[in-house]
Amino acid sequence: MALVPLNYTVRSLFTRRSTTILTICSMGATVAVLAGVLALQQGFATMFVEHGRTDLVVLLRPGATSEGESAFPRDRSDILIKSSPEIALGSDGQPLASAEVYLAVRRFKVDGGETNVPIRGVQPKTFEIHGDDLQIVDGRNFQPGTDEVIVGQSLVGRIRNCQTDATIMLNTTPFKVVGVFKSKGSFRSEIWGDADRMLSALNRRSFSRLIAVLKDPSKVEAFSERLENDKQVPAKLQTEKAYLESQTLALSITFFFLGSLLAVIMGIAAVFTGTNAMLSALTARMGEIGILMSVGYRPFAIFLAFQLEAIVIGLAGGLLGCLLVLPLNGIQTGTTNFATFTEVAFAFQTTPLVLAVAIGFSIFLGLFGGGIPAIRAARMKPTEALRRV
Amino acid sequence: MTLKIVLRNLLAHPLRNFLTSGAVFFAVFLLSFLQAVVSTLDAGVRSASTQRLWVQSAVSLFVDLPLAYESKIATVEGVEWACKWQWFGGIYKEESNFFAQFGVDPETFRKSYPEIIVDDEHYKNFEGNRTGCLVGKDIALKYGFRVGDTVPIIGRIFPRPDGSPWEFKVEGIYESKTAVVDQGTLYFHFDYLKEAIESGDTDGEIGVGVYLAKVRDGADPGQVQSAINAMFENGPQRVNATTEAEFGRQFVSMLGNIPLLLRSIGGAVLVAIFFAVLNTMLTIGQERTRDVGIMKAIGFQDGAVFRLMIIESLVLSLSGGLVALGVAKLLEPGMRMALTQQFPGFAMSTNTLLVGLAIAAGIGVLAGLLPGMRIRNLTPLQGLRGQD
Amino acid sequence: MPHLIDLKNVSRTYQRGGESLEVLQQLDLEMEGGSFYALMGPSGSGKTTLLNLIGGLDQPDSGQVVVDGEDLATMTSKELAQWRADKVGFVFQGFNLLPVLTALENVALPLQLTPLSKTQRRDQARHALDLVGLGDRENHRPRELSGGQEQRVAIARAIAMDPTVVLADEPTGDLDRGSAEQVLVLLERLNKEMGKTILMVTHDPLAAEHAREIVHLDKGRLGRRDANGNVPVGGNAGEDAPS
Repeated sequence: MALVPLNYTVRSLFTRRSTTILTICSMGATVAVLAGVLALQQGFATMFVEHGRTDLVVLLRPGATSEGESAFPRDRSDILIKSSPEIALGSDGQPLASAEVYLAVRRFKVDGGETNVPIRGVQPKTFEIHGDDLQIVDGRNFQPGTDEVIVGQSLVGRIRNCQTDATIMLNTTPFKVVGVFKSKGSFRSEIWGDADRMLSALNRRSFSRLIAVLKDPSKVEAFSERLENDKQVPAKLQTEKAYLESQTLALSITFFFLGSLLAVIMGIAAVFTGTNAMLSALTARMGEIGILMSVGYRPFAIFLAFQLEAIVIGLAGGLLGCLLVLPLNGIQTGTTNFATFTEVAFAFQTTPLVLAVAIGFSIFLGLFGGGIPAIRAARMKPTEALRRV
Repeated sequence: MTLKIVLRNLLAHPLRNFLTSGAVFFAVFLLSFLQAVVSTLDAGVRSASTQRLWVQSAVSLFVDLPLAYESKIATVEGVEWACKWQWFGGIYKEESNFFAQFGVDPETFRKSYPEIIVDDEHYKNFEGNRTGCLVGKDIALKYGFRVGDTVPIIGRIFPRPDGSPWEFKVEGIYESKTAVVDQGTLYFHFDYLKEAIESGDTDGEIGVGVYLAKVRDGADPGQVQSAINAMFENGPQRVNATTEAEFGRQFVSMLGNIPLLLRSIGGAVLVAIFFAVLNTMLTIGQERTRDVGIMKAIGFQDGAVFRLMIIESLVLSLSGGLVALGVAKLLEPGMRMALTQQFPGFAMSTNTLLVGLAIAAGIGVLAGLLPGMRIRNLTPLQGLRGQD
Repeated sequence: MPHLIDLKNVSRTYQRGGESLEVLQQLDLEMEGGSFYALMGPSGSGKTTLLNLIGGLDQPDSGQVVVDGEDLATMTSKELAQWRADKVGFVFQGFNLLPVLTALENVALPLQLTPLSKTQRRDQARHALDLVGLGDRENHRPRELSGGQEQRVAIARAIAMDPTVVLADEPTGDLDRGSAEQVLVLLERLNKEMGKTILMVTHDPLAAEHAREIVHLDKGRLGRRDANGNVPVGGNAGEDAPS
């Protein structure tokens, strides 16, 4: 079966320029919105989920769902660390485990408004555990036992007093910022200091959580069960990866929901627009179709030609949408994770996945939008088409 | 006659115009939803009272203030009373059923909020029952709570040692006429919680999340605010006393760029839909060339045919837009129920609807301008011959 | 008595593809009220242009076009539109009815421009439709009418306002012999029984026979011959040809 020549399709697109351009712009805006939300979600996912380790575990008080609501008394944490053979040993022969204090404190943003920034009081072992995942990029690390802090890179320029040599107030105690650190994952939005000094400044008695490196990551299930049923020091154990996923679940779901809602609603609107464009193409080209048919092209060839045209328009719209959304890449944004009530800062990420989905979606739009008109075109009788000229 | 011509012309191409109208429907629906979310976020701030001050820890939302502060705050000049509010943070049956719970002082709670509507008899029962609670209309509807029911809440900040749930008896269901108080909260006795902590019935420490300080009529809220802040300047916990509006704004600003994001999405949707409607209107404009030639030959003025095009564009746009607003309003109760967790008090206010209407009308007028002007400038002969 | 239509020194030139076409050149023409003129000439002779000038659809490059005492050449397009509404009824070759309106509504269309009430407009339209013999088809859309019927509706529309002059451009061009005859007879009747002034452009000599006077145009210049085929001394005002 002979296919309608490609250059017919291409030239047809150019003949009715204004309609084609408007349709492409409309679809482009639609795809841009979807790609934008997807890029947001990707940035969020990259930030959190991908940086959880499976050989590192987080221990909370039983029943707590986040470290914010977990309390780990000092004596319990000592016992647990000493009595758990599952924990790997560091270079000094001591267990690679560390107790941390966590509190989301109110800070003022540089551009006005308030937000909650996580403060993490850590023990020296924490740095050994994270190793190269955490690096000082400005100034120096804080001295254990002193009222010094280091701030995560994401906070610099966004939160007041978060830079080297500034001073921050925690309750009634001033802390000097001595350095800035960078880290994979969410730590880069936190302020770190000495655990005991934090407890004292904040008037608290208990740690929030323990972290520990596993000797054998595959045995994590057994370890978790043992601690659940432990009478002396019960604890809730998860890998860091699982913990981070649980923290961001609600927000992830929200993004997913928002993205899907937008996709469906705007998708329908875009399909309507595409169908309209092809319908008017059909009306305008009635005579040509009649001629093509009387020359001998089969209905299916006509159908394909129209579908192809619709897909090309959709594709062009998709490409435009991608172009519009690319500048967003890397732009920082932030919101509050309502599960932990802390600020999460992340950047739009227009990953290849985003672009692929955008293009795929736009092709699908073209296909769907072009469907009805293409069927109509194929169903025309040549005499009817010619008469309408 | 103009309307007759417009309507019949629109009906003459049912599929195309339905599709265009349909695209506007979806766009306006989405836009009004987004606008409703943004305005819900602002609503609490807008309806705040100047006579209520919120006293919280200056350090963190998650740090409680000492119980001793209650009497101290009450002594500040201009403070009529201080009401304790403690965030409970429990869940109803499962993680996904989340709504706010606060332990409060029943005698001062209702007095602080004249905007709350609840049956007097019921409230008296609430005051008299230590383990009683008041639930908002929205969650009562969503979970089927009725007066007399027992609501089990699993404590997370205040867990029972054996993990069993706390049980509160529903003594009353309240409605709120103000956006500052949503209808999605459960209020119980602060003292019930305090006693449970003291007797070891639950883990956790006694403290008060926030104090609500009622400003005496005639007193200057600003001065009272400063006085409270100064009183605890040296600890043990520094406080931040804010107006109710500020308090609300605090939560809105925590959302960071979300409102901006929503507005941007709305903007892009507008652009997409505008192009779609313009596309159709340009086609319609072309089709109308001969008719316009006839009408002008007969003696119709340029302005008259221009108006015809604008009206056609408006009808096209508004037909989709008005239906969308109608549907959005109809779905409001359902959406509010679904969103009690993320956006309690979600409302499709008249304002939001008007914004939606303005958008639909705006698109209609703008999309009709280009073809309208072309039509207006056609000479009768050009129209009759079907060319420009 | 002044002439109903008086053209003095009228010229009209068109630009087409970079070239100038002098369609009418310094034309003088007088026409009397109550008569039925056939305007004839070969293709490109400018007869349609002449009709458009008289009807206020076009304006000359120079000269005067005085109809019923008013010079159209000096009017603004706004004034011309109003003037057309008041004074002229058009009948076109392609019928030119609005497809979405019924026959009655099409006839009533020009009445929208008057201060008449809805009932008055409807009655007047009905009256015009009855005159052309299509009173029973008032609710039909154009696509439900035959070509001849459509043209008669167009004529009804043209006379609904009781215009000063009815201008018809090749009214029978798209019709078969039988319908054409019907339409021409109708026009003749409107002229003879109701005194309507009619100016009809046609290239069909048979159609021209229904008219009282024939005006010839050739290359934008006038020749005049009455129905008897006599050629009077060209271009002079006041000489009525014998009817």
